[in-house]
Amino acid sequence: MVNVKKGVLVTSDPAFRQLLFHLDESRQLGSKFIVRELDDTHLFIEKDIVPMLESKVEQIMENMNPETNDNK
Amino acid sequence: MATKERKRRGKWDTFKSEDNASSSGAGSSDKDTAAAVPKAASHNLSGENSSSVMVDEFGAKDYRKDMPLKADFSARPLWVAPDGHIFLESFSTVYKHARDFLIAISEPVCRPQHIHEYQLTAYSLYAAVSVGLQTKDIIEYLERLSKSQLPKGVITFIQMCTVSYGKVKLVLKHNRYFVESRHSDVMQKLLKDTVIQSCILDDRVQPAQQTDLPAQEKIKFSHGNENDGADKDGADNADGKVPADIDEFFGKMDGDDEEDAEIRNLQLLTFEIKQETIETVQRRCIELEYPLLAEYDFRNDTMNPNLGIDLKPSTTLRPYQEKSLRKMFGNSRARSGVIVLPCGAGKTLVGVTAVTTVNKRCLVLANSNVSVEQWRAQFKLWSTIQDKQLVRFTREAKDPAPSGADATKPVVCISTYSMVAYSGRRTLQAEEAMKFIEKQEWGLLLLDEVHTIPAKMFRRVLTIVQAHCKLGLTATLVREDDKITDLNFLIGPKIYEANWMELQKAGHIAKVQCAEVWCPMTSAFYSYYLRSQIARKLLLAVMNPNKFRICQFLIKFHERRNDKIIVFSDNVFALKRYAIEMQKPFLYGETSQNERMKILQNFQYNPRVNTIFVSKVADTSFDLPEANVLIQISAHGGSRRQEAQRLGRILRAKKHSTDQFNAFFYSLVSQDTVEMGYSRKRQRFLVNQGYAYKVVNRLPGMEQEDLKLSTKESQLQLLSQVLATSDADAEEEDIKEELADGTIRVARREATMASMSGGQGAQYHAKAKAIAERHPLFKRFRQ
Repeated sequence: MVNVKKGVLVTSDPAFRQLLFHLDESRQLGSKFIVRELDDTHLFIEKDIVPMLESKVEQIMENMNPETNDNK
Repeated sequence: MATKERKRRGKWDTFKSEDNASSSGAGSSDKDTAAAVPKAASHNLSGENSSSVMVDEFGAKDYRKDMPLKADFSARPLWVAPDGHIFLESFSTVYKHARDFLIAISEPVCRPQHIHEYQLTAYSLYAAVSVGLQTKDIIEYLERLSKSQLPKGVITFIQMCTVSYGKVKLVLKHNRYFVESRHSDVMQKLLKDTVIQSCILDDRVQPAQQTDLPAQEKIKFSHGNENDGADKDGADNADGKVPADIDEFFGKMDGDDEEDAEIRNLQLLTFEIKQETIETVQRRCIELEYPLLAEYDFRNDTMNPNLGIDLKPSTTLRPYQEKSLRKMFGNSRARSGVIVLPCGAGKTLVGVTAVTTVNKRCLVLANSNVSVEQWRAQFKLWSTIQDKQLVRFTREAKDPAPSGADATKPVVCISTYSMVAYSGRRTLQAEEAMKFIEKQEWGLLLLDEVHTIPAKMFRRVLTIVQAHCKLGLTATLVREDDKITDLNFLIGPKIYEANWMELQKAGHIAKVQCAEVWCPMTSAFYSYYLRSQIARKLLLAVMNPNKFRICQFLIKFHERRNDKIIVFSDNVFALKRYAIEMQKPFLYGETSQNERMKILQNFQYNPRVNTIFVSKVADTSFDLPEANVLIQISAHGGSRRQEAQRLGRILRAKKHSTDQFNAFFYSLVSQDTVEMGYSRKRQRFLVNQGYAYKVVNRLPGMEQEDLKLSTKESQLQLLSQVLATSDADAEEEDIKEELADGTIRVARREATMASMSGGQGAQYHAKAKAIAERHPLFKRFRQ
C-alpha cells in the first residue's frame, strides 16, 4: 500500500539537526514530527508542524542570547 | 521557563543575576548602597522630560522641537540632550577642548570613532567639583560648546549636584582627623546633626590658626615636556576656526584651579572626629549633601619627613600620564581619587610618580604577590629610590620592618590587600610589620587594581591604615554588581579616564585586532549539550572538538609567526585537557608560586616556549610584555571586566612590528550555545571603548593543517571522557576555579598562611604554644 504524506524538506547544519532531533524525541511540540532522515543535512518533516516549530526555534534562539531580551 | 532556570543552583544563577544587575542600569541605586548615595545622586535626568519626546523603533529620541540650533552650530561640538546624555563630534575642530572638559564633568558611555557619548551623573559632577571646577563655570562652558541652548533640566541638575559639593574637607593632621570648612553655615548644619555629633572628639569648633599661605607653586612632574601640551593647543587654534569665546574660556578653565580669593579669606573652621567613625561621618555627610573631600597639603606638612626620592632623569611621562597627575595635584595639594588608564598604558609609572611627588611615606597595596614584586621592580626602574627604602610585606617575602633608628625614616611599603586585611593570628614578624603599618601616618595610599577589592576587605584596610591621600589605579571601572559606586565614597571620585582609542592611535598601547571565532558544535556534542544541565552544557561547549581544532590551528599559525601566545580558560578541566593534548605548559590556581615563576620566565625568555595556558589567576596584574596573541576558550559568563582585563594582557605597546595590527585577541565561541550570548555581553565594555570585533566563521587553510581530533572516533572518545567526569567532578572544577578568584582566594590564603610563613617557624610555634600551656608545676620539673 502506498502512503502519501505532505511534508517539508529541511536543510540544516549538523548542530541544528541535533536540535530538531532533540525537539522530536522530547515531544516538546506535542508529538513527533520528523518523518524521515534523508542524509546528513536533510530532514523530511511534517508540514503542519512548521509554524509551531518556527516559533519554538525562535524562542530557543532568544533564550541563548540573554542580551537581546533586555531592550538593547 | 525563567523561574525554572532560576531554581537551578550554581553558575547559571549567578550569570542571570549579573544580567539583571547590570541591565537595571545606573539609574536605580543599589539597595545596599542606597544609604550612602546622596539624594541628588538618585535624581537622574532620564525620567523627567521623556513624556514629550518621540522615540522611534530603535530607541532613538527626537529632540528636534525642543532644541533649536544656534546660528553658528557647525563650529560647536556638543549635543546636550535633556536626559543628561552629551554627544561629542570627535571630528570637530574644538574636539580637544571639549574632550578634556567632558571627561572632567561626565562619564564616558561610549567612544567609537566619530561620535562620543557622555553622561552627566551626580558622581561625575561631584568629581568635577573636587578637581576645582565651579558650578557657574561648568554651566557656562557647556553652554558655549553646545550646538543648541542648554535644556533647563540639565542646568538645574548641574546646580543641584554641584552647589553643595566641595565645601567641606576631611584633613588628616598629626594622626588625627579633622573636618574643615570655610563656610560657617555649612559647619553649623553639620554640627547640629546628631549622627555627626556622636562622632566628634572635641565638640568645640575652633577657628584654625590662619597661617600665612605660602605662594603656591605649580607642581612639576618631569623634565621638559611641561609646556608641550599648551604649545600644541596653541597651534591647533591657529588653523581651526574656533569660536573665540570657547577658546578664551578654555584657557581660563585650564589655568584657573584655585579657590576664589573671597572664599580663601573666610575663616577656616575645624573640628576633630574620632578615627573609627570616619566612615560614618563620610556617609552622613553625603546624606546631608555635603560630601567630604579628602585633601592633603603635603607641601606644608612638616610633621612627616620627606622620602627624598625623585624620578630618574631618564624617565619621561607620556602626555596622558602627566595630565592625569596634574588633575590629582591640581591646586598643589593631593586629592584622593581614582585614575583610570587602560592596562599596559603605564599605570605603575603614574603611581610611582605620584609617590615621588608627594614624597612622604607611602603604602602600596596590590592584589597578588607577583604584582608586589612587579611594583618593587618598577620603583627601582623609574625612581631614585634606594633598596633600604623599599619594604615588602607579603606571604613570601617579608623584609623586616624598620626598627631602631630607622623606624622614623620614611619608607615605601608594598603589600597585598589580603595581607593587610587578614584578621587571624599572625607570626611574630608579621605582627611587627602590621604594627609598623598601623602606627605610621602614611602620606599616600596607593591602591592597585582597585576595582577588584571586595568592599568589606577594603573597609578593613581603611580602618587599619591612616593615610592622608588615597589614589586608586584601575583599567576597568565596571563591575557586574554595580558596587563601583562604593569606591566613590571609600576612595574618592574618578580623577581621570583615558580614551583607549586615542592611546592606541598614538602608539602608547598595542593595536589590537579583536576577533570572535565561531566554532560549530559537532553533532554528537550538541546532542548531549541539549540534554544536559547547565554546568555540563558549559563544559561541553568548551570541549567542543571544533573549538579545540581551531584553537590548535591558531596556535600553530601564530607560532610560525614567532608570536607569543596566551590561552585563557576559566574551566580547569578544559585547561588541563587542552594543554596536555597540545603539550604546552599550563598554570592555574593550584600551581605553586615557584612553578609559576618558572613557567612565566620560560615564556618570556625561552624561544621554544611560545604558548602557555592559564586560568583566570592570570586575569589581572600578570605583566607579560612579550605576549601579543590571546586566545580565550572559556570565560566567566558575561563579565565585561574580565574581557577587558584579559585584553589588557596583550595591550602593552609592541616595539618591533610594523603591521597595522600588532596584537590579536581571539575569543572562541561555540555556535548555538549560551556562549554566544555571553560573548556579546562581555564585549560591551570594549565596544564602548571603540573596539570592533570581527566575526570569523571559517579560517582559511585549516584543511591543510595536521590537527588533532580529526576523526569521528577520537571526537567520540573525547565526548565519552567529558561525559565520564561525574557531576561532582564538574562541580569540583567549578569550586577550584573559584578559589583562584581574588575574593575567595583570600580565604584559601588565610588557611595556609600559618604554614606558609616559613614551615619550620610554624612547627616551632606550635611547640612553644604547647609548652606555654603546661601546668607551672611541670614546668618547674622540666627545668
